[in-house]
Amino acid sequence: MSEEFQLSQMEQETDEMLRIRYLNKDNAVFKKTEGGFLSLKTEGEYYPRVQIVRMFPFMNTTELLSVRTTDERSKEIGIVEKLIDVTEETASLLEEQMNMHYFTPVITRILNIKDEYGYAYFHVETNHGPCRFTIQMGGNAVVHLSETRILIMDIDENRFEIPDIMKLTAGERKKLDLFL
Amino acid sequence: MKAKDPNKINKTLEQLLLRDGMKTEEILLYFPVDLTKEGLFGEGFVVLTTDSLWIYEGQAEEHKVHDYKGYEAELSAEVWAETAEWELKKYTLTDLERLWIENGVGCNLLIAGTGEEEVCLAMFTHLYKRDASDLLKVFEQLKRGDEIRVPERKEERCPKCGRMYPDEVRKICPHCADRKSVLFRVMGYFKPYKVHFAVMFLCTLATAALNLVWPYLNGAVLYDKVLARNEEFLRQIGIENGDFVVALLMLVLTMAMTKITLLLLQIAQGVLTAKMVVNVVRDMKQSVFRNMARLSISFYRSRQTGGLMTRVMSDADRITGFFVDGAPYVLIHGFTIIVSVVVMFRINVVMTLVAIALFPVLVAVSMYLRPKIWIMYGRRHRAERSVNSTVNDNLSGSRVVKSFGQERRETERFTGSNARLRDAEIAIAYRQNYFQVVYGATQSFATLGVWIIGAYMILSGNTAGMDLGLLITFLSYVGQLEGPMNFFSRIHNWWADSMSSAQRIFEIIDAVPEVREAEHPVPLDAPEGDIVLENVTFGYEVNRPVLKDVSLHIPAGSMIGIVGRSGAGKTTLVNLISRMYDVQEGSIRIDGIDVKDLSFEQLRKNVAMVSQDTYIFMGTVAENIAYANPQASYKEIVQAAKLAGAHEFIMRMPDGYDTRIGASGRELSGGEKQRVSIARAILANPKILILDEATASVDTETERVIQKSIGYLVKGRTTISIAHRLSTLRDADYLVVIDNGRITERGTHEELHELKGTYYKLSELQTKALALKSEIF
Repeated sequence: MSEEFQLSQMEQETDEMLRIRYLNKDNAVFKKTEGGFLSLKTEGEYYPRVQIVRMFPFMNTTELLSVRTTDERSKEIGIVEKLIDVTEETASLLEEQMNMHYFTPVITRILNIKDEYGYAYFHVETNHGPCRFTIQMGGNAVVHLSETRILIMDIDENRFEIPDIMKLTAGERKKLDLFL
Repeated sequence: MKAKDPNKINKTLEQLLLRDGMKTEEILLYFPVDLTKEGLFGEGFVVLTTDSLWIYEGQAEEHKVHDYKGYEAELSAEVWAETAEWELKKYTLTDLERLWIENGVGCNLLIAGTGEEEVCLAMFTHLYKRDASDLLKVFEQLKRGDEIRVPERKEERCPKCGRMYPDEVRKICPHCADRKSVLFRVMGYFKPYKVHFAVMFLCTLATAALNLVWPYLNGAVLYDKVLARNEEFLRQIGIENGDFVVALLMLVLTMAMTKITLLLLQIAQGVLTAKMVVNVVRDMKQSVFRNMARLSISFYRSRQTGGLMTRVMSDADRITGFFVDGAPYVLIHGFTIIVSVVVMFRINVVMTLVAIALFPVLVAVSMYLRPKIWIMYGRRHRAERSVNSTVNDNLSGSRVVKSFGQERRETERFTGSNARLRDAEIAIAYRQNYFQVVYGATQSFATLGVWIIGAYMILSGNTAGMDLGLLITFLSYVGQLEGPMNFFSRIHNWWADSMSSAQRIFEIIDAVPEVREAEHPVPLDAPEGDIVLENVTFGYEVNRPVLKDVSLHIPAGSMIGIVGRSGAGKTTLVNLISRMYDVQEGSIRIDGIDVKDLSFEQLRKNVAMVSQDTYIFMGTVAENIAYANPQASYKEIVQAAKLAGAHEFIMRMPDGYDTRIGASGRELSGGEKQRVSIARAILANPKILILDEATASVDTETERVIQKSIGYLVKGRTTISIAHRLSTLRDADYLVVIDNGRITERGTHEELHELKGTYYKLSELQTKALALKSEIF
C-alpha cells in the first residue's frame, strides 16, 4: 500500500467531514429494526442502526435532525432538514427514535417548592404525570432558555421544562420566584 | 440494587417472580426502570441471574407520583401494582453477546447486542443509571467468567425519613437537618467574643429600661407633679417649702442625665458592635475560604464561581447582621412591649384596650406586605446582577463587540436590563410607600383614639383619674410600642433569611472533598519518579468513562509523549497522576506507592504540571515564578526564567522581574503566560514534570528554545508531555497514542512509524501540511 494512497484516503475523510448531505425520501430509506431501532440505506451505504439527534433541541425540535452512527466515535451520516422531506411513515419513525433519546417532562403545574439546606424540593405536575424531584441550589440547576422559558435539572441531571412561566398562575410563579 | 436480603426485594417484583417461577434467591442483582420504551413513564425491572436476564415492563398507574432522587420515601412499588399489565422478556446470557447503556438526554437505554443486531431492552431516567451500571459490571464479570463481586453501594438513605441523600458523600438529609443546630453553630462563631456580647446585651437592656422611664419623666412627673404644684411629690423627693423651681431644675437635670446616659450607651453599643461584627464576619469568611481551598476540583466544576463568591462575601455579612441587629433585640423589644403594656394597663384600662386593638391590624399589615417587598428585593438583586454581567461581558469582550460592529446591539441589551432594574426599583419604592402609608395610618388611628378618649376623660371631670401629664405619658408609651412591633413583624423573615444564609455557608464548610488525603500517608523521601498505571478506568460522569482500562509504565527518568485527538483523555490521564481526581478502578503508583497513600504535600511537591490553561496570579513576575517555591533566591528565579525562555520578554518590560502582572497589572500574551508557568514548574524542581500542551501557544522559535531548556530540565526527572504538534515530542523516549480513552499504540518514534497507525497518519499529515506551507511561501 503506497503512502500516497493513505494520504488521499485521509484527504477524503477530511472532505467527508466538511460535506453536508441532506437526506430525504428520494435518497434515504429508514426502516425499523426488530430491536426497536432504525436502520438506514442511503446512496449505496447501509447502516444497521442510526441515531437521530436534534441540532437545536430547544429552539427547533422537528427541523435539522442529525442522523448519526452509534459507535463510540459517532459520525454524522446526513441531515434531515425538515420532517416533510421524508415520508409520513419515516417521520413518525424518526420521532419515535427521538422519544427514546430525549426525555424532558414539561411542567404544567407547580404544587410545592421547598428549599432546605442547599437543596430545593419540587412537587409538580407534568405532561407525563406528577413528579417530585430535587435540585441543588447553588449550581446551575435552573437554566434560562429565554426570558420566560426555563429548564430545570435535578441532582441526577434529569430534565424538566417550563415552556412559559407567564402561563403559570401568580401563586406558582411566586413559589418559583427564588429561581427566576 | 442488591437482592441478597430477601426482605429488601421490591414487593411487586417478588409477586411477579412468584408468578413466573423464579426464586428470589436466584437473583444476582436487579434494578427498577421507570420509563417504557416509547419514552413514557412506566414501571419495570431488569433482573440478572447467573444465566439469564429478565426484563419486565408495565404501564405506570395513573396519577402515580414519579419520585426522583431526594424523595422516594416509600420505595416506588412497595405494594403490588395490580392494575399494571406486566410484559416479560427472557434472555439467556449465552444469547446476549454484549450489554451496554446508551446515554440520552434525561434518559438512558439498556441495549443488548448480538452480532450486527442491537436490541433495545429497557429505558430509564438517570435515577437508575448507577444501578444499571452496577448490573452491567456484574454482567461483564459473568461473561468473562470472573468471580462475581456485586458492587457495594453506600448507604444512600436518611435513616430518619428514608429519603435518599442528595449527596451520598455528605450524608446530610436536608429534610432532617436540624435548624437549631445551624443556629448553635452560628452562635459558635460569637463564642470568642462572649464578653463583648454580654456587655452589649447589658447596654441594650439598660437602654430599654431608661426608655421606659422617659415617658414618666416628660409626662406624668412634669405636668402632673411639678407643673401642677403637687406638694406631696415635693415631700417625697425631700424638697421643703414648696420650691417648685428647684424641683423643676432637678427634673430637667434628671431628664438630661437620662438622655446623656442613653447616648453613652448607644456609643458603647456602636463600638462593641463594630468590633464584634467585623471579627465574626472575618472568622466566617476565613473558614469558608479554608474549606474551599481543601475541596477537590470536581466541586468547582459543578458550581458557578460567581455563586461561590456571593456566598463567601454576602452570606457571612447577612448572618452577623441578624445576630447583631436582630437577635439581641428579640428580648429587649419583647421586654419593652410587655412592660409598656403592663404600665399602660395600670394607667388606664380602657385607653390601653383602644391602643392595642389596632396592633393585630398592624401585625397583619406587615405580615401581608412584607413578603411581597421581600420578593421585590430579590427581583432587584437579580436585575442588578444582570446589569452587572452585561457590563462585564462587554468589557471583557470589547474586542469582539468592536470588530463585529455590534456596539448598538450591546447598548440595546444594556438598555433592556437597565430598564428592568429601574422597574424593579420603582416597584420597591411604590410598595414601600404603600406599606408606610398603611402602617402610619393605622398607627395614627390608634393614637387618635387614645387622644379622644383621654381628652374626654379629662373633660368629664377627671373621674377616671386622668390628668394631662398622664395622658402624655400614656401616649409616649403607645409611641414607644411602634418600634418593637415593627421589629417583630419582620423578625421572622429576617431570621429565615439569615438561617438560609447560614445553611449555604455551612454547606460549603461541610462539603467533603472527593479526593481525600490518606490519614497515615506513606512517606516518599527520595523519590525516583517511576510511575505505573494499572487498569485505570475513570469518567467524570457515571457510565461515561473517559479512560478505559489504561495500563502504562513510565520508568524513572524517562520522557514519554502522549499523542491523541482532542477529547481522547490525555489531560484526564495526567490529572489522575497528580490526583486532581481519583481513579474509579485500577491504581496509579509512584515508586510502588499508590498515589492515594501519599500525602498531598509530598505528591504536589514531586509532581508539577504546566497545563494548557495557564493562570497568572496578582503579583510581580518574580512572585509568579516563585509561586511553588517562595524561598527561591533572585538568582534562581532568573535561572528558571532563562530556561523557560521567559527572560528576554521579562527584561523588555521596564520594571523587569518586578513588573506587576495578573488581574490588576500588565496583560501578558498567551505565549508569555505560558513561559512564566514553565518557569514556575522549573523552579518547583519536581521529580515528575507534566507538560500538558505547554508550548501550544508559543511561536516556533520560542518553542525551540523551550525544547532545548526542557532538554536540560528532563535530566533526572520523569517527564510526561502531551502535545498535538509532534515536533514537540521529538525528544521523547517513548510515545503513547490514546484514542477514545484507550491506549491504541505505544513505542518509539520509529516503531510507531512502522506501525502505520494513528501516529503515522498524524505525523504524515503534519509534515505534509508543513511541506504545503513551504510551497506557498
